[in-house]
Amino acid sequence: MSKILMKPRIALIVMFVLLFTMALYFDDIPTIYRGYIAILQSPSILISDYLEVGGLGATLFNVATILLINVLMISYLKMRMSGPVFAGILTIAGFSFFGKNIFNTIPIYIGIYIYARSQKLDFKSFFIVVLFSTGISPIVSFMIFGIDWAEWFGLAPYWNYWIGVPAGVLVGMFTGFILPAFGAHTIRFHKGYNLYNIGFALGVISMLFSALLRSFEAIDLDQGGPTTELYHSELMLLTIVLSLVFIAIAYVNDLQVHKKYWTLMKSSGRLVSDYIRDYGRSVSMLNVGVLGLMCVIVLWALNFEINGPIMGGILTVMGFGAFGKHPRNCLPVMLGAYLAVALTDFTFDGIGMMTALLFVTAVAPIAGRYGVFIGVLAGFIHVVITPLALVFQEGGFNLYNNGFAAGFVAALMIPFLEAITKSNGEEEN
Amino acid sequence: MSKQEIKLLTKIVRELSMILLIHGYRRFTLTTDYGKAETRFFLNVKNLDDELRDHIEEKVNREREIEVETYGWELVGDIDSHSELEILGLLIDYVEIEQDGDETFLTFVRKSMYKSKE
Repeated sequence: MSKILMKPRIALIVMFVLLFTMALYFDDIPTIYRGYIAILQSPSILISDYLEVGGLGATLFNVATILLINVLMISYLKMRMSGPVFAGILTIAGFSFFGKNIFNTIPIYIGIYIYARSQKLDFKSFFIVVLFSTGISPIVSFMIFGIDWAEWFGLAPYWNYWIGVPAGVLVGMFTGFILPAFGAHTIRFHKGYNLYNIGFALGVISMLFSALLRSFEAIDLDQGGPTTELYHSELMLLTIVLSLVFIAIAYVNDLQVHKKYWTLMKSSGRLVSDYIRDYGRSVSMLNVGVLGLMCVIVLWALNFEINGPIMGGILTVMGFGAFGKHPRNCLPVMLGAYLAVALTDFTFDGIGMMTALLFVTAVAPIAGRYGVFIGVLAGFIHVVITPLALVFQEGGFNLYNNGFAAGFVAALMIPFLEAITKSNGEEEN
Repeated sequence: MSKQEIKLLTKIVRELSMILLIHGYRRFTLTTDYGKAETRFFLNVKNLDDELRDHIEEKVNREREIEVETYGWELVGDIDSHSELEILGLLIDYVEIEQDGDETFLTFVRKSMYKSKE
């Protein structure tokens, strides 16, 4: 029994069942259906809170289906549930609260598949890129549902779909096709100190799309929607239950798991840190659960209410508990982010700064490698840069805007830090 | 041999050199045998620390993961801490280690992943 429970894949299936059950508990099937259709037809750009677009039941159904499809794909491809794969799955689940759905992710997968075939490699060879690639899925939805093609070209309304669907699918496939090579290249820019590397790559691609689309007056790039905090209590409960499930799975397998936790926390977390491979499943699952509770405490302390984007942030932080994040490298950068808001004219009134407090953990490896003070500085710089990064990606096609910003933070800091640090890296062992 | 594979092999040479230099080894011999199906890297070091040798053996002899390789291979050859052997381990299939007195002979074997387009 404990052998079965220790598998991260089982934890994800438990998560699917929990989400699906909750969806049916909170809404009836017709309401879920209507909400789900609204989600599929949403332009889905930053920030489209699916809780606002389709309601709680439909959003949880969207998250559950995306989760299930990806877990089934992992099984079909006979993939090992490694740290990066686990992080990718939870990130997809998280962003299914605000931007990802079954409709806008598939064309990108197809593009990566075509690239893999062109390289004479298996599709599974690029599976990590596949999992993180869907950060740019709003471009697919936007091309289909965000542009009034019929009005633009003076055609009958049904042309919106005849032009929009092929345009969306082709743009998605093109992005998927160029992403594996580009993502491998961008990792050098920040030297692996931005955990959301694909987010950075997608930011650059998104910048290109924004530049092209804003050249046409007929296209309205400002279509972000409001968020809703109506379901704060339910989502807070879901986060706590999920965190406890992961911690319970860790302890079912190994009652002494906490004694090994410190070894994991000594790692910098720099890419490519597969905690499941390096420290084992139990310690990784404990870390995932602890990070979930850490988010709960931070949100509670700052009196934040959970909406779709914040839920996405929580699940992403938890997922990266198997791929580079732990409380020791996350808390300094989160403190830096908090100080950036406290000491400047930024406020936590807007969703941008609230989510930045969670997504700032993209630069956690900087704290893990160079210590608390440098980590706080990295968090501070990240928050200052993030709104600027969004300006370069007008239209909100890259859901991983913080990953784009984090790439610049790491690229700014690491060369200097490397130059002034001794070469022997004695902090790790 | 594809251009991608050539870039990877060059990075492995750089990484192996960096590991030894970071650990303070100033004299070592590194030779290579580039083959179509696999490439072998022969490393000869005097007075190699037992702990480092075991660390290399443990990290490098882990199962190779192609999906991590395609994601993070550009980081190879750019380690900045003495314990970072994980990425090298992702690119090497296995290492054979032989000891002859104070000399250690390490043979790193990488089977080609990228098929030639020539």
